[in-house]
Amino acid sequence: MAGDAVERARMSQPDVVTMTGIGKRYSTAKGDDVTALTDVSLSVRDQETLAIVGPSGCGKSTLLRLIAGVDHQTEGTIQRDSPDGGFVVGYIFQESSLMPWRSVYDNVRLPLEVVGRSDPEAIDELIRMVGMQDFEKAYPIELSGGMQRRVSLARAFVHKPSIVLMDEPFTGVDEFTKEGLQHELSRMIRELGATAMLVTHDIEEAVFLSDRVLIMSPRPGRILAEVVVELPKERDPSMRSSIKFFDAAREVRERVLEIHQVGQADPAV
Amino acid sequence: MSRSLSRQAGYGLSVLSFLLGLVLWELMVGWFDVPSFLFPAPSAIFEVYFTADVDWLRHTLATLRTALTGFTIGVVFGFALAVVITLSHVLSRMIMPYVVALQVLPKVAIAPILYIMLGFTNTSRVILIVILTFFPIVINVSTGLATVDRNLVHLLQSLGAGRFSVFYKVRLPNSLPYFFDGLRIAVSGALVGAIVAEFVSSSEGLGFLILNSQYTFNTTAAFGAFVILTALGLALYGSVVFLGWRVMPWNERA
Ligand SMILES: Nc1ncnc2c1ncn2[C@@H]1O[C@H](COP(=O)(O)OP(=O)(O)OP(=O)(O)O)[C@@H](O)[C@H]1O
Ligand SMILES: [Mg+2]
Repeated sequence: MAGDAVERARMSQPDVVTMTGIGKRYSTAKGDDVTALTDVSLSVRDQETLAIVGPSGCGKSTLLRLIAGVDHQTEGTIQRDSPDGGFVVGYIFQESSLMPWRSVYDNVRLPLEVVGRSDPEAIDELIRMVGMQDFEKAYPIELSGGMQRRVSLARAFVHKPSIVLMDEPFTGVDEFTKEGLQHELSRMIRELGATAMLVTHDIEEAVFLSDRVLIMSPRPGRILAEVVVELPKERDPSMRSSIKFFDAAREVRERVLEIHQVGQADPAV
Repeated sequence: MSRSLSRQAGYGLSVLSFLLGLVLWELMVGWFDVPSFLFPAPSAIFEVYFTADVDWLRHTLATLRTALTGFTIGVVFGFALAVVITLSHVLSRMIMPYVVALQVLPKVAIAPILYIMLGFTNTSRVILIVILTFFPIVINVSTGLATVDRNLVHLLQSLGAGRFSVFYKVRLPNSLPYFFDGLRIAVSGALVGAIVAEFVSSSEGLGFLILNSQYTFNTTAAFGAFVILTALGLALYGSVVFLGWRVMPWNERA
């Protein structure tokens, strides 16, 4: 079947990111070491969305910084691959982190500008995708929090990155806006054929957006379990009340609970 | 305020209160027959611009020239030093102790000694103002260059941007509101510096005029100078605020 052929073609693609035995130690100002990550191995497949859930401080943001290459691991190797050569990331942060001094248009243009490309069509397309076409000239201060998030989504995809890194992208957004934004994000990932990695401590968010969820232990972070989300690639809000969504969320929650209990039984943690 | 006023009503109230104050002042001076060398009435101050044997324009321009020359030099040097401190950790560690130590010294205290070092020249006066305006700029701009959104720095770095690019695209624009805060402090400092410098030694300027009025018991002329100084201060401060709005339409208005 055609679906199988597509699947096979996809499987033959190299993984976009492969981490092997990654460890990260920080030395603090006081002089002692903090181990943020130990022995993390994972891979992100082409056009896949991989979610990682874990408690605060387990090293989720660190993991993304290592992939982005703005910080370096103290152990292990990271292999970065891109079908069309140069590996570039898109980044979505816990805050919108727009440049207050740039208009919506110029904020979205930023990644292209930094990599030295010009692609007005991509800018227009992304701004339209997030529904901000009437606000191109507006400054971030003139936008609502939800609108600022949408601009930051457009900015993350505009340069067709090899992988989009999302660090708790909707923390602090009210529930009502959040579900809309999550749907918009899942639509963008699919329509643009993007590969993405999401870290969050919101289990429903992880399940709704991803194909696979990895569960991390408290610091020092390790990958302890994997849950495959058996939902169709195309997500819509009605799936939130589907059995499959519920099953996946429950499985993730159970694994998290197990890990938590193990942690409590172990006096060293 | 328990009840908020409309914008117009608020301004109207301020103007009214000011005018009322002037009228009360005038009446009190008349009622109690206060001699003008103690406390001149507004009408007397108004008259003094026409009656006193003083070249008001010359003195005003002299003070303004000194203040603005020192201000400009201080701001340029302050900005440059802030950039150097931000770009070089080594230089920052070497320079900051001096900046911090001098920052807490009341700068006008050194005015008399500046004249020993540099002579009774206009240069000495300008140097005092340079010193006064320099510090708020260094402190504010270096803060603005340093306190950037770390996410933005990571975003640029992840796309291969170097230090220069991060500086130019993130740090510099980020420092603008801090720079304008510094300018507001500096512009007030420049006027203070000009007056103090003229107190210590000068043959013209509003500071000289005030000191001279003291010798001749011409309090009314001194008040005339105060009014001009107030107007100058407001105009300079207002220009900075207005420029800030023009340059940073994206900034929240303080
Ligand atoms: N630059 C740094 N220097 C020293 N320690 C650091 C640094 N960055 C992170 N850490 C430490 O590494 C650990 C993991 O941090 P990280 O920010 O990756 O956690 P996180 O999972 O993203 O947490 P959260 O959910 O709260 O965002 C923390 O204990 C933190 O204190
Ligand atoms: Mg984090």
